[in-house]
Amino acid sequence: MLRNKRNEAIVALLLVAPFIVIYGLIFVYPTIRMFITSFQDAPLIGGGDYVALDNYTRLWGDRRFNTAFWNTAYFVALTVIPGTLVAFGIALGINRLKGRLQALILALFFLPYILPVSVVYLIWDWTLNFQFGIAMYLFDLLGMERVPVFKSTVWFMPAVAMITIWWTAGFSILLFLAGLRAIPAEIYEAAALDNASRLTTFSRLTWPLMWPVTALVLTIQLISQLKIFDQVYLFSTGGRPNDNLVLVYYVFQRAFQYDQGGRAAAAAVVLFILVIVVSVLNFQLTRLSKGRA
Amino acid sequence: MLGVASGAIIAAAVLAGPVQAQETVSWWDFLSGGDGIRMKQLISDFNADHEGEITIDATTLEWGTPFYSKVRTSAAIGEGPDIMTYHASRIPLAVSQGILQEITPDDWSAMGLSEADYAPSTWDAVTVDGKQYAVPFDTHPIVLYYNKDALAAAGLLSEDGKPMGLDSREGFEATLKGLKEAGSEYPLASTTADGTFMFRTIYSFMGQQDGELMTDGEFLAGDNAEKLENALAALQGWTNEGLQTTYTDYPATVALFTSGESPLMINGVWEVPTMIDLKDQGKLFEWGAVELPVIFDHPSTYADSHTFAIPANSGKEMSPEKRAAVLEVISWMAKNSLFWATAGHIPAYGPVTQSDEYQTMEPNATYSSLTENMIFDPKSPLAGVAGPIYDVMSTYFVPTLNGEMEPAEAVEEIKYELNDLQ
Repeated sequence: MLRNKRNEAIVALLLVAPFIVIYGLIFVYPTIRMFITSFQDAPLIGGGDYVALDNYTRLWGDRRFNTAFWNTAYFVALTVIPGTLVAFGIALGINRLKGRLQALILALFFLPYILPVSVVYLIWDWTLNFQFGIAMYLFDLLGMERVPVFKSTVWFMPAVAMITIWWTAGFSILLFLAGLRAIPAEIYEAAALDNASRLTTFSRLTWPLMWPVTALVLTIQLISQLKIFDQVYLFSTGGRPNDNLVLVYYVFQRAFQYDQGGRAAAAAVVLFILVIVVSVLNFQLTRLSKGRA
Repeated sequence: MLGVASGAIIAAAVLAGPVQAQETVSWWDFLSGGDGIRMKQLISDFNADHEGEITIDATTLEWGTPFYSKVRTSAAIGEGPDIMTYHASRIPLAVSQGILQEITPDDWSAMGLSEADYAPSTWDAVTVDGKQYAVPFDTHPIVLYYNKDALAAAGLLSEDGKPMGLDSREGFEATLKGLKEAGSEYPLASTTADGTFMFRTIYSFMGQQDGELMTDGEFLAGDNAEKLENALAALQGWTNEGLQTTYTDYPATVALFTSGESPLMINGVWEVPTMIDLKDQGKLFEWGAVELPVIFDHPSTYADSHTFAIPANSGKEMSPEKRAAVLEVISWMAKNSLFWATAGHIPAYGPVTQSDEYQTMEPNATYSSLTENMIFDPKSPLAGVAGPIYDVMSTYFVPTLNGEMEPAEAVEEIKYELNDLQ
């Protein structure tokens, strides 16, 4: 039977078209607009005069952008690797369990992941609030001084990082579990026959075999933590917002609170490029180191 | 075919006849607490009064940045409401963005309202370059709430039933210390965890020294910085001496006062309904509310105003009939704002506050004297609730008021950051 190449192309195009149209409309077009706006002195809505690189050069002298940049870096450092290790550890533990108990424990760890951020905020505000937080009564019982967790710059980022790990670990645990289950049992049997110790089995078998999954989890975590915003915004309300700024928060402030679309767009472009560079770099590094283990 | 079509047109015209006279006014507000309930009552009273003529179709939205972002974006594409509530402090920003319609002299006369009906500071708060962009509905200053029972027990209630020492810093601090000695762990409940809230108190204390936040487009020029520092130092002193609560959120502040733990509280007049309701249920002590104590030179209180504004929906002309309906809504609301006073706010419309009924309303009558001492936010696109100035202030107020940072350092940082915003 002769294949109608032209027809096939049309069908293929028809199938892909809706995606391309939507992708173009809600991703490509806004991204192009973002680049254009970043060269304009524009308000939140509508264009403005062309100002060349002004919006970008102003970023470097802006103390608040500086805060946002370093806070984001600090937050990434606090969450990406620790979060991945915690999820890996929990997955190893769950993998040793059997049957219903395993399902139950897994469900318990996955539960926070399905909560919306506003609920996460309320739970932790009830727990760590200076006046009526449950944890503060514990502090009192132990004779320790209360800590204004979300009102102090020292505690704010570590606390939000911990909450974020608690909140998002469920998804990484699932990925790790899938990876652990894909390792054939025979390999472990062979290792057992060779009298390999538990540590050797882990470092020579489990860790290298799990590396591709670990690399994936690291990359996903990295991208999502660079874009951290909602938790920081919610926990900052009424407190010390400008000390707690992160990059997306900075963009939000410039655009929606200060009505400076151009300067917001410039910061968004910087973040956009940062995410691309860092994630490509991370992916390449993890890919290269794959063979070593 | 033609017959059917023309029949349909005739039918439509007949049906449209009586409907045309009825105008539906779409309305947005951000009032969701005790005042939201009272506003809904006013709206349904209005609708009942204007049966068959005007109907208000009201929506309540999230207060703060979400509300103002939504107004901004929807006005830009002509999808805003016909009328909305707006904070007077946000008007300069809104005017610079071109999202408010002017309230013209013709509009004022159509509504039967005029400048003479409003306090000068309130009228000025809605005026930009000699034009008005909103109609003030109320003013909501902060006041000092007090627990009469606790003060009387400590011997600190004066003969006219007010706390002692309201006229000087020494006097007020003596009252705080007296309460502390009488057993209150924290005599004054302050929202020290929320710098945006404390802005109101601190700005009032600046005003008591004739300090201004912005002069000739510059923030904290000259000795204004010093006046801010004085205000911060006074409040920090109270923290250091254990006279006010530390790191306290808004709900905790109210709870500390209503539970009787703190006999004094500085808060907005909008908490009046809370007190009235609790008292009615027999769950509250004898209480009162007065103008802020004079800590510095003379009385002065921060206030903002809820106003009604008409969005400039781009590309959408408002019909004269619709505009007339909107003006009728505003006018009716102003003239019926006595009920709004039960939400604690001071109605902006003079004839209401001068009426005998209002003069006997408590505690409103006690604190309505402060209308003469009100100060509003500086006129700047950076000012206003949930605006950039708030973020800067809050960031430095929280550590200062809780004793982590020196007032002088905070003022220096605030001055730098505010001027950097421009």
